[in-house]
Amino acid sequence: MSLSVRVIAPDKTVWKGEAQEVILPSITGQIGILGGHAPLLTALDIGVMRVRAEKDWQTIALMGGFAEVEHNQVTILVNGAEQGSKIDQETAKQEYEAAQAAVNAVGAEDRQGKIQANQALRRTRSRFQAAGGMVKS
Amino acid sequence: MPNLKLIRDRIDSVKNTRKITEAMRLVAAAKVRRAQEQVNATRPFANCLAEVLYNLQSRLKFEDVDLPLLKQREVKTVGLLVVSGDRGLCGGYNANIIKQAEARITELKADGYEYKLILVGRKAAQYYERRKAPIAQTYIGLEQIPTADEASRIADYLLSLFLSETVDRVELIYTKFVSLINSRPVIQTLLPLSPQGLESSDDEIFHLTSKAGHFDIEREPVSGQSHDYPRDMIFEQDPTQILDALLPLYLNNQLLRGLQESAASELASRMTAMNNASDNASELVKTLTLSYNKARQAAITQELLEVVAGANAL
Repeated sequence: MSLSVRVIAPDKTVWKGEAQEVILPSITGQIGILGGHAPLLTALDIGVMRVRAEKDWQTIALMGGFAEVEHNQVTILVNGAEQGSKIDQETAKQEYEAAQAAVNAVGAEDRQGKIQANQALRRTRSRFQAAGGMVKS
Repeated sequence: MPNLKLIRDRIDSVKNTRKITEAMRLVAAAKVRRAQEQVNATRPFANCLAEVLYNLQSRLKFEDVDLPLLKQREVKTVGLLVVSGDRGLCGGYNANIIKQAEARITELKADGYEYKLILVGRKAAQYYERRKAPIAQTYIGLEQIPTADEASRIADYLLSLFLSETVDRVELIYTKFVSLINSRPVIQTLLPLSPQGLESSDDEIFHLTSKAGHFDIEREPVSGQSHDYPRDMIFEQDPTQILDALLPLYLNNQLLRGLQESAASELASRMTAMNNASDNASELVKTLTLSYNKARQAAITQELLEVVAGANAL
């Protein structure tokens, strides 16, 4: 039984296709979905989702949202998404490192700056990971 | 006697101007199609979101939910997000939105609130920079057809302002697209999101159509009642947490719609303004041609009279 997966951003459908297995970055940890899964609703963190069609694994960077599974239909609504194969790993790495530096540079009193910097860090990390980069935790 | 050459030059220059205004009108009309495609592309997202909100709502009462984005704090500072255009020559579009913003600022000041401005578009930015208003952020040179990337960039910034308690409320001032010849500036509270707004699933999506070459608009409500979740639906997290993850999407969607409506209003406004300008130019050419011909005839008559008078004198 295969899953039909749709990844929808506010202005376009980023990815659509059949898959045998999907791994989602839910806010309470990774969650794997196989064919015939029970109906499910989960909130998604900023992170990387993995899709397996036959033997090929693909990565997609997700910018937070939620996923709904019902009757082998997986609908993923996110703020933004990007296919890992379309991200340049080197640029993503530089952006990730710049974001890390920015987080460290923000002073403790600047609450607004801290929120923004952390958000940027998580986004760039997700893109870097989707592009195949390894992140030291 | 009016100078013939002067009038002829004037006619030429008016005709040139008419060419330009006509071209601008056509460009605005062409962009409408792209705007429409963009709006249609947001439909699956909005539909899906409305459906999930509707289903979640049956699982929890929004009144009991304590989430940062829904929390009504005591208001000290209000963030005003003003959406204007980057360019002029679009009738009263920019002036109207600034007027609306000014009126709101006066109201806020009268009630003793502080305010901060987040400005979209060069026109609003120029206006408030000149007046040294408290500007928190400006976004200039956005795409004429707004994209989700831009909307989420702005949404992120608004969230950080709101969550860090720099502002306690965020209001969006944008131009609502009513029809091709009618749009009006409106104020909408973005943050905190109101539970009432979420619950009523009659959010409408507008979409632009071009009927027989004319620019048209249709509004239709998003149907949130398409289907219910099965009773055994697994909620991986607490429904409250899921709602928490969903709210930024909702905000993003609202903001994108505000930007799109504003963009559509700007295009429509420009089309109307340029149409009027072309009409005026044609009118002007007509009057000028008339007075040119009159002057020409007067000159000929004058010369004839001179010749006749000369002949008589002999």
